[in-house]
Amino acid sequence: MHSINHECTCSSNPLIPHVCQVTAIKQETPDVQTYRIQTLDGQKPFSPMPGQLAMISLPDVGEAMFSITAQGEDYIESAIKNAGQLTQAFHEMTPGQQIGVRGPYGNHFPVDDLKGKDLLFIGGGIGLAPVRSLIRYCFANREDFGHIDILYGARSPEDLVFKEDLSLNWPKEKDTTLHVTVDRGNETWEGNVGFVPAYLEELAFSPVGRKVILCGPPIMIKFASQSLMKMGFAKEDVITTLEMRMKCGIGKCGRCNIGSKYVCLDGPVFTLAELDELPDEN
Amino acid sequence: MQLDKSDLQEALRILSAEAGVFVPSVVEGVSRFALWDGESSIDLSRVNTELPPKDILFPQTEKMYSYKMGKNIEIKEIIDNPKQVVFGIRPCDVKSIGCMDKVFLEKTYVDSFYAGKRENLTVISVGCTQTDRTCFCDSMGLSPSDAPGADVMMNDTGDTFVVEAYTDKGKQVMEAWKPLLKKGGKKPAAPECTLKVKMSPEISVKLSKMFEHPIWEEVSRPCIGCATCTYVCPTCYCFDMNSDNHSSEGTKFRCWDSCMFSDYSRMAGGHNPRPGKKERVRNRYMHKLSYFNERYETSLCAGCGRCADKCPAHMDITAFIDRVAEEEMENA
Repeated sequence: MHSINHECTCSSNPLIPHVCQVTAIKQETPDVQTYRIQTLDGQKPFSPMPGQLAMISLPDVGEAMFSITAQGEDYIESAIKNAGQLTQAFHEMTPGQQIGVRGPYGNHFPVDDLKGKDLLFIGGGIGLAPVRSLIRYCFANREDFGHIDILYGARSPEDLVFKEDLSLNWPKEKDTTLHVTVDRGNETWEGNVGFVPAYLEELAFSPVGRKVILCGPPIMIKFASQSLMKMGFAKEDVITTLEMRMKCGIGKCGRCNIGSKYVCLDGPVFTLAELDELPDEN
Repeated sequence: MQLDKSDLQEALRILSAEAGVFVPSVVEGVSRFALWDGESSIDLSRVNTELPPKDILFPQTEKMYSYKMGKNIEIKEIIDNPKQVVFGIRPCDVKSIGCMDKVFLEKTYVDSFYAGKRENLTVISVGCTQTDRTCFCDSMGLSPSDAPGADVMMNDTGDTFVVEAYTDKGKQVMEAWKPLLKKGGKKPAAPECTLKVKMSPEISVKLSKMFEHPIWEEVSRPCIGCATCTYVCPTCYCFDMNSDNHSSEGTKFRCWDSCMFSDYSRMAGGHNPRPGKKERVRNRYMHKLSYFNERYETSLCAGCGRCADKCPAHMDITAFIDRVAEEEMENA
């Protein structure tokens, strides 16, 4: 057997990461940071659709799949929670750090189906990260969409991610209403206190002409879905994203299947109606 | 055309001038496909090798790229696609390569590592003259004497092999063997598997409605999670990706993984969508007999019988299929 070390930085092999650099790091919460990622010559690594994923790696530590939180002319961004060995290593990075990136992977939010509709975004904790890419898309194409409501909840005021968007940027957008809630307030918190599903029912959104985009921890998705059903929303009109452990990101390695679907390829975006068709295993 | 058995070594020697030739052998007491040294005996005595030939295309550990950390990260793809021939592979194992082709070459992404090896592999199948205790390929829609996915199909008539080329790669083999081949030869009748299993397309559909069925609790009970079934399976292709790291440099590799291990689907933070053996056995059987059919229109089981033969807890996919066939669907 012979081995050739093929020197190539622009491999077409989908399992080989491209070397990129982290050009800015923002501390969102005590355990969430947002990384701005560019190619080594300052370009955008790729142009994802809202909801798509990227495999991000430090080759000597590991590689994992993350949602792409935002993109600009010459960058993509990902907000990552410190939850394990690899994400701990990310949290120790400083600007200028090189990383491996491959993607974009997965399907995306069905932006065409959302056109002309009122939109209700519901996010819990770090679950606002995948939704943020779509929120930004909608603001960039504001005329295509109706009224936008953003309902976001976190454990405490300090756990709210994208604070600048929540308090400054998004409330300024046309025809947009923010509803922020926390499980436990503090001395300075003046907003709503309570879990997302309860606040959702209290706000009593009409299902007429409205689509819902729902992302967060599994327990929040479960109870918020029940609330939405109670409020008269159809399962076809509630869109969510799934998480499974992934290694290859291209539908080969096997582990992210739910039934015959691979979350990395056929997901991560599904409507509740589509999830009903799959085995209950996630 | 036919080839005298006494000319087999010469025939393989011709091929080994240009490619590594894998043959059924006994290596350290274990029957498997191994690179032929040009002299040692070729063991066609067994119906099937104990270990499957999948590692020829999908090595147990396969280097993907090397890396150097530091201020600048360097990544170099590792390409290793030698010309290879596999000789003596049975129809069930050829069908298994067909299943792996679907996984690695279809559905949006082509897996470059697999594609490179597959392109350079010539498959010479030898049909079975007898069947084994746990073989059931003819219940899975295969024939023990014919492998439609092979490049060359050979069948044992006693003193000779009847040889047919099925592809252009096969024709090149026949061309190289021209001095050794003789006209004529009649393909023998296929042996019949003694083990019959009630597999049908309806089983796949029925299974897709049995996710919540009580059967899983019962069939998974003996499982000890050792993953022998996935290791000896010629179609099991799940892999892990990891790195062999030495301070600031190393090699990223992929290696066989198994859905029967608890770590397989466990996520950062500890959540595991398949937390116990019930969920893991269910996923394996469903993947083989239902999910794969839904995605690729064929079963991910060729009926080679290795898993049933080797399971230390005597779990048997054939008994499971028959059990599903008999299950009253009111319970589902």
